[in-house]
Amino acid sequence: MNEATSHIEFIIGEEKRLSDIVSRAEIEPLLRSGLKLGILRAALLDEDELPLATLGAAPSADRGELLQKRLSIMVEGEPKGTLLLESDGSNPAFEALARLLQEALQLTVTNNLKRMLTTEVHTSIVQESYDQLVTTNRRLMESEQRYRELARDLEKKVVERTTELQQAYQRMLQQEKLAAVGQLAAGMAHEINTPLGFIRSNLNSFAKYQNRMAEMLGLYRLMLDKEASPEVIRRQTEQRWKELKLDFLLEDSGVLLGQSLEGADRIATIVAQLKNFAHLDGMEQQPMDIRRELEQLLAGLAAQFPPNTRLITDLHQLPLLTCRVPLMVQAFANLIDNALKSRAEGLELTVRAFQDADQVLVCISDNGCGIPAEHLSRIFEPFFTTREVGKGSGMGLTVAREAISGAGGNIEVESVVGQGTLCRVRLPQGAASPDHRDHKTL
Amino acid sequence: MIEFDELHGKLVLKLVYYGPALSGKTTNLLSLHDRLLQEGRGELMLLDTTEDRTIYFDLLPFFYVAPSGFKIKLKVYTVPGQVRHDATRKAVLQRADGVVFVADSRISQMAVNAESFANLEQNLTLVGLDIEKLPLVVQFNKRDLPDVVLETELRETWGPTELPVYMASALQGQGVLETFQAAVEGIFKSVDQKLGLLERYQVNQRAFVQSVVKTI
Repeated sequence: MNEATSHIEFIIGEEKRLSDIVSRAEIEPLLRSGLKLGILRAALLDEDELPLATLGAAPSADRGELLQKRLSIMVEGEPKGTLLLESDGSNPAFEALARLLQEALQLTVTNNLKRMLTTEVHTSIVQESYDQLVTTNRRLMESEQRYRELARDLEKKVVERTTELQQAYQRMLQQEKLAAVGQLAAGMAHEINTPLGFIRSNLNSFAKYQNRMAEMLGLYRLMLDKEASPEVIRRQTEQRWKELKLDFLLEDSGVLLGQSLEGADRIATIVAQLKNFAHLDGMEQQPMDIRRELEQLLAGLAAQFPPNTRLITDLHQLPLLTCRVPLMVQAFANLIDNALKSRAEGLELTVRAFQDADQVLVCISDNGCGIPAEHLSRIFEPFFTTREVGKGSGMGLTVAREAISGAGGNIEVESVVGQGTLCRVRLPQGAASPDHRDHKTL
Repeated sequence: MIEFDELHGKLVLKLVYYGPALSGKTTNLLSLHDRLLQEGRGELMLLDTTEDRTIYFDLLPFFYVAPSGFKIKLKVYTVPGQVRHDATRKAVLQRADGVVFVADSRISQMAVNAESFANLEQNLTLVGLDIEKLPLVVQFNKRDLPDVVLETELRETWGPTELPVYMASALQGQGVLETFQAAVEGIFKSVDQKLGLLERYQVNQRAFVQSVVKTI
């Protein structure tokens, strides 16, 4: 059944007919008891004189005197019905009986009316509560709908913000790379400057030597032109040879040139390392020789070692790792850089690379300041740094972990404040699975 | 208006006694019942009460038959005053032709009166009645008690509303008839405007009011 069509509405005070208030079944027992007490015919007539209930038969004319009584039944103080009673003259209690029946009937009508009125009020209240519930429910559903839409928008916003953050993160990565390259370049410049310095100095000295040698050769030519006797030539040139310290010059020239060559070789080596480090040939997945890269990295970073650094390396030849090599080199560079900054002097830096079951392990440890426990859980967060403003970007370990997980590996950091830090990098053997290639930690 | 039966020349009107709990609404009706002639009115019907408090409503009906044969029935109701019976108040207020607001004169009850009056305004709106057009009479009851707000103050406050304001003591029967008469007059005028009682049915205001307010 449709709820809307079953809506019941009462108007309090609405006029009621007698038949609305009492039913035939309620009236008949009363009338019947009247019949038992000698009344011949008893009826209740409504507003229009139509019988609601009739019992008994009209007395026949031959029974003598006919007594008839019409008594009003009131509804809200208004006569609405008539109690009709007929009896023959032989009933002495007719009058009293009629009053009794009228009162009983009136009481029934009044009580029924009261009950109806209270029922109506009650029904109205129930109806209203129900309507309120329906309204409340509808509002709830509407607000639920609103929240659902809000949630959907929120999801969209989250996606947008996430994309933005990812882009910012990628930019940061790029900047970090540039910073690292800059740092490396500074290191390289220093490394190149030293041999360049002594090559220049040597060449300067050699230029002076060359002047004196030229003078000596000139003297020989002069003597030969004068056609002096060998004896004279020997005596005069010996003298000059000694004055020009040519014995020393010739010996030292060899040393100078040898050193310069060595310096040039050193520069060539450094340039080669730089080329390898920068991997200018792009970011494709390539096989990486972990041992060689670590050796080159350590050589490149040597200039940044704090005073009295003791470097301990234990680098085994390992199977080639397929990864984005520049990123992985960057990761190791960042880990080593952290170790280098962990102590002002007397650093003991240990770098080990070895095979452990089906994995490759690279362990980088120092005897530096260590990381407080409360920071340990946050060190991989982008931009988390404890260094002074401008000294640390907070991206080093983030970049490292990104690169390592990108190659299908993972990194663990253990640290004790005042004792040092150990970074343990686990890498798979051989090619990284494609799932890991585009792994994002953000 | 509960019912208007043009064919049978019958009109059923509703007057509601509104107000806060225990302000004397039922007492007003009891007093009317005691002081008005039996002829022309029905019996006072009190529906269930608990501890002197009306839970449903009370009803006192009045009847008038004009010389023309036109019948007017005026049903006077009270509502339960307690806040919790708001749904009942609303139900009783439906189709009312006039309202008597019975306020408690005591200083301590002013906030309660105001709250109840606000509730009346709200419920009138909810049942679709316009408080500006509905005949409304205000009665300040319990004048016999100490600590009541001075009449001058009340008149000052209520004067601007232009509502008829009566002072009463329903327990002592004072001001009850005056309040009732004012309400009946208001209702007659308002209904006469709508239906043309005098013009069409030869129902005279004076005769009607006198019939209804006929004291013993």
